Amino acid sequence: MSVFSDAYARRALVEVLLVGALCGVVGVHVVLRRLSFFTMSMTHATFPGIVLAALLGLNLYLGAGVFGALLVLAIAWLWSRPGTDESSVVGVVLSAGFALGVVLLSAQSGFTKNLSAYLVGSVLAVQVGDLAVTAGVGVAVLLLLAALGKELVLGAFDRSGLRTLGYPARLLDVLLLLAIEATVVSAVPAVGVILSVALIVAPAATARLWTDRLATMTVLAVGLGALSGLAGLVISQLVGVSAGAAIVLVACGLFAVSWLGAPRYGVLSRFRHRAAIA
Amino acid sequence: MPYRLFVEPFQLPFMARALAEALLLGVLGGVVSVTVVLRRLAFVSDALTHTVFPGVVIGYLVAGTGGIVWGALGFALLSAVLLTVLPSNRRVTEDAALAILLTGFFSVGVVLVSRRSSYTADLTAFLFGRILTVDRREIVETAVVTAVVLAVLAVVGKELLLRAFDPGAAAALGYRVRLLDLVANVVVALVVVAAVKAVGTVLVIALLIVPAAAARLLTGRLAVLVAVSVLVGTLGGYLGLAASYQASVYYGLRLASGATVVLALVALYVVAFVVGALRRAGGRRRADRREADLVAEAA
Amino acid sequence: MADRELSPALQFEHASVAYGRTPVVEAVHGDVHPGEAVALIGPNGAGKSTLIKAVLGLVPVVGGRITVLGRTPAQARREVAYVPQADTLDPEFPVSAGQVVLMGRYRRIGWVRRPRREDRQVAAEALRAVGLADRAGDRFGLLSGGQRQRVLLARAIAQQPRLLLLDEPFNGVDAVSQDALLTALHGLRAGGAAVVVSTHDLALAHLTCDEVCLLNRHQFAFGPTEQALTPELLRAAYGGQALVTDEAVVAR
Repeated sequence: MSVFSDAYARRALVEVLLVGALCGVVGVHVVLRRLSFFTMSMTHATFPGIVLAALLGLNLYLGAGVFGALLVLAIAWLWSRPGTDESSVVGVVLSAGFALGVVLLSAQSGFTKNLSAYLVGSVLAVQVGDLAVTAGVGVAVLLLLAALGKELVLGAFDRSGLRTLGYPARLLDVLLLLAIEATVVSAVPAVGVILSVALIVAPAATARLWTDRLATMTVLAVGLGALSGLAGLVISQLVGVSAGAAIVLVACGLFAVSWLGAPRYGVLSRFRHRAAIA
Repeated sequence: MPYRLFVEPFQLPFMARALAEALLLGVLGGVVSVTVVLRRLAFVSDALTHTVFPGVVIGYLVAGTGGIVWGALGFALLSAVLLTVLPSNRRVTEDAALAILLTGFFSVGVVLVSRRSSYTADLTAFLFGRILTVDRREIVETAVVTAVVLAVLAVVGKELLLRAFDPGAAAALGYRVRLLDLVANVVVALVVVAAVKAVGTVLVIALLIVPAAAARLLTGRLAVLVAVSVLVGTLGGYLGLAASYQASVYYGLRLASGATVVLALVALYVVAFVVGALRRAGGRRRADRREADLVAEAA
Repeated sequence: MADRELSPALQFEHASVAYGRTPVVEAVHGDVHPGEAVALIGPNGAGKSTLIKAVLGLVPVVGGRITVLGRTPAQARREVAYVPQADTLDPEFPVSAGQVVLMGRYRRIGWVRRPRREDRQVAAEALRAVGLADRAGDRFGLLSGGQRQRVLLARAIAQQPRLLLLDEPFNGVDAVSQDALLTALHGLRAGGAAVVVSTHDLALAHLTCDEVCLLNRHQFAFGPTEQALTPELLRAAYGGQALVTDEAVVAR
């Protein structure tokens, strides 16, 4: 395909395939545990970490990663305090993080071109180093999810059952939250801070509409994530729009189509079903 | 020193206007955030701030700066309806649906913006606002929205409260819960529209959550909650603007004012958190002393 | 069937349990021996669930002692199984009945490792014990309420526990499922496990259990059903809220 004749386009392709697949796998856990808002908050609140790292001249991933890990621990701690409810805490952290990032960025030199890269991604500017980080994070997250998979699924399905079996439920939660944060950090170059949630949630939510089985759902999510990356990148090259936005629109589009048309759980099939009974 | 910090900045006309806008938004946010926090609508509200974005862009493309509010309004109402009416497909949890809806809409906005050459500057203004450039007309618009929202809440406030607390009872009493939800979502949407010029779509969420979240840490009584929430909202606006001015004039740092307002709100949240924790600890000590007295009496 | 020669599987010695400072349940005293079944009876808010959680080591014991299989509750947890009420679980979750039962084996399988053939056999056997072997591949949420309760019992059976705790397992359960539950419990007791069931249903308690612990924030009685469920005691525990109409059931 002539679209990928340039090296930067080829690198972008590898990046979106890797990121899409990783987001798919992690997305399954996010969807099953209803952690979409938390993930949203993580993508926003990681932003200042990236800015700080850029300001200090540190590796962006390191800055984002360390900052994000601290945030996860802060949120986990706040969730256990009285007087707070989950979603408000997440909302406060989201606002605080993002505002901090904006302030830092504007302090540096007003707003620069980098802002849109942070917000919506700039996948065509990824370097080999970024690919290595994405691959590394991907492997680490996959290993973690594979090792703890059965316990994490049990925790998602029946948290009190997990506790009564004697598992350290909170620790497992925190590990998963850290894995989500790591995924967000590696997705930011491709789709940016605001849109990475879509790549994590949409493929998995779409997959759920097609199957009752967790294993199938995971495979589908990975495929849909990678497909969204590929199709979005191609479209953005052909039409000349932001790659990050195009990728997300593909992912959301696939969801919308499935929401309408999936055999058992799509809206249309249920209308037909109801009409058939009537 | 206090004069320099707290009064001097606002002698400048543009700062005075910004302050007026910030105070109005503080009242608006303070009141509406109570519904958001009590109903745990934080994510729905966040979603609304993102789904409004393409409306902002379209309004601007069609009619320049004046069109922003109308574009935002249109998409806000559309979003409020969609988010309320979202057929509860059992397979799609509400949070996943919200995340997908908001990022999808937001992407549409990004695509529209990315076709223009002034991409970054426009994106920035839409997302983060320019409170320092509000003019008299915009202040009036915000005042109108505030009045409308307060009127709506005065009329259906207790019904919304009932629905928040016990939707089953509300339905049993004959209230159309879906309709009440729609009203609540429209109110939130209106706040987003009012605030979009000042603080931008991304930071509005802070106005919609932080004031009441902070107040909630200090009290469980509704009337007090609303009062404290409004106090936090307005104080945050005031302090945020003052801080931004100080940084700019005396330290040479140009900080985005919308963001400093948000940081001021969060700082007030932290203060509330600490005060709340101290009060709980003090309360425990008082309870312990009471128990010791009772034991001593019984002995 | 109950073997009182062996040391008790569960011992309450004037136990009080509390979440914070104020005890939720006090003065619980009695033993449950291997093969025995004891019913926890009391009105809503009596503290039955809290007591069960204390036996699991999830709620602190603030007075007296609870000994599980000769050890503290936390130490004994591996050999204690808990059956919650099924309605708290998400019916859309992509998990089959067979997979739910297999979850009971996770502690034995251990971290990181996958289930082995032996685990799958035990799980299949447990499903057979509750009469749902043919539904192993069906999604958990597609089963009826009573069937889901049976699957959760099978999950506990798969743990091969020595003590089994059930929280209101018969609530809203159809007659067929109720029978299946009772049969499975009988099988467990025959195998030497001790069973503690919290329930509202006095008739069922009579039918299935050797002894009863009557409580409402503190213990009113702990003993054989005829002694523990007298009209006076019931009235005292339920605060005049219970209608003791069927003298025949109680007197038996």
